[in-house]
Amino acid sequence: MGLVENLGINLGSLIAYLINFLILLALLTFLGYRPIMRMLDQRSAKIKESMDQAEQIREESLRAGEEVKGKLDEARREGQAIIAQAAQVGERVKEEARQEARKEAEKLIAKARLEIQREGEQAREQLRQEFVGLAILAAERVINETLDNKAHQRLIEQVLEESTSLGK
Amino acid sequence: MPQLGCSTRLLVLISIILLALLVMSFLSGAIGSALTGGEPILPNPGEIIQLPAEEVLHIFGFPITNTMIASWLTILIVVGMVYAATRRVRLIPSRLQSFIEFFFGWMLNLCEGAGGKEQGRRFFPVVATIFIFVIMNAWLALLPFFGPGIHVGEAPLFRCANTDINMPLALAIMSFVFVEYWGMSSLGARHYLSRFFNVGPLWGSIKQLFGGKIGAGLNGILSGVIEVFAGFLELLSELVRLVSFTFRLFGNMTAGEILLLIVCFLMPWVLVIPFYGLELLIGFIQAMIFAGLTLGFAAAAIAPREQE
Repeated sequence: MGLVENLGINLGSLIAYLINFLILLALLTFLGYRPIMRMLDQRSAKIKESMDQAEQIREESLRAGEEVKGKLDEARREGQAIIAQAAQVGERVKEEARQEARKEAEKLIAKARLEIQREGEQAREQLRQEFVGLAILAAERVINETLDNKAHQRLIEQVLEESTSLGK
Repeated sequence: MPQLGCSTRLLVLISIILLALLVMSFLSGAIGSALTGGEPILPNPGEIIQLPAEEVLHIFGFPITNTMIASWLTILIVVGMVYAATRRVRLIPSRLQSFIEFFFGWMLNLCEGAGGKEQGRRFFPVVATIFIFVIMNAWLALLPFFGPGIHVGEAPLFRCANTDINMPLALAIMSFVFVEYWGMSSLGARHYLSRFFNVGPLWGSIKQLFGGKIGAGLNGILSGVIEVFAGFLELLSELVRLVSFTFRLFGNMTAGEILLLIVCFLMPWVLVIPFYGLELLIGFIQAMIFAGLTLGFAAAAIAPREQE
């Protein structure tokens, strides 16, 4: 076996190298590959988890923003409703006040009218009584100054004149 | 003017020193000394190169070769480095840890790319170990204390383990064994071995022939024989891989070693530096080829054979 000897193939060395390789394989597997692979997996899991978490947080904040916006909208609507209501109430109060004032005024006017009427009535009554008094007075005078037709005539005219001036 | 790492004056100085070294190296090397009639300062590599690894010591009567010592050194250094990196594995890695992680991650990606997620993880330790062992053997052998510098008797104390044919052969055997094991364990031994010993169709057609279907039987026998032959070729190629694996690595590494020795013999200084670079590259390429081919064969071995 010249070739084998020239190249240096020998069973002892071969077996030693096989064992060497297996030892290296075992050492690297336990010291290197396992921990590193575990670490790589762990890290990628961690990164994935963080990214998921970030995504979740983003979504949550988005949702919270939406919620806040919704609430603001609602509040604004509510505020507007309250303002509108207040305006309505104010309007109504104003209307009521106006109505009240008008009623009051009408009442006053009616009362004044009544007063005027009564006063007129009273005046007329007074006038009438005065007129009656005058008539009686005139009659007395007529009777007193008697039978002077001329004087009679003048007296009556005088009384009438007095009454018209009174009637005015 | 492009930025230099040093001042122009320093550059000129370095160039002059390099040039002087080159001239000295030319004069003291084989070519120069032949011209001047002196003796070259390094011995002729033809006299010191021998293919079998030299035995440098004996432990319990078991001969230890210098390549064996070098491979132990490689194992020590690799394991030490990996241990230092992974002693306290952290989620936020140290520099060494992230370097090792980068390398393992790269290897793991290769394996997962070739064999799929699950199978790739089975291949990964073996493929990565082959890569690391080959490349570290090759690169460590470029250090100054390797080779004829430190020697025991006539033989150097350290010699690149890749240049001992037993080591590539052992790796090839390991690669072969693991590939066959993966193939059998993922496809089932019967299915896996049927690609080498494919007598099923032949047997079936012989039964057909005796069952009276002569035409179909004869046709079947023909294709059956071809199947058996193809299986035989497949088996042969599986075994030839052992040889090609072994001699590719052994040849390349030994040639590299000899190349360096010869260049040093011709011109001891300066000129050899580019060849060191070349050897670094070749070490990487050989490691890549050995690991990559193992991975490729493994991926082929677990691929189910289509049934007809």
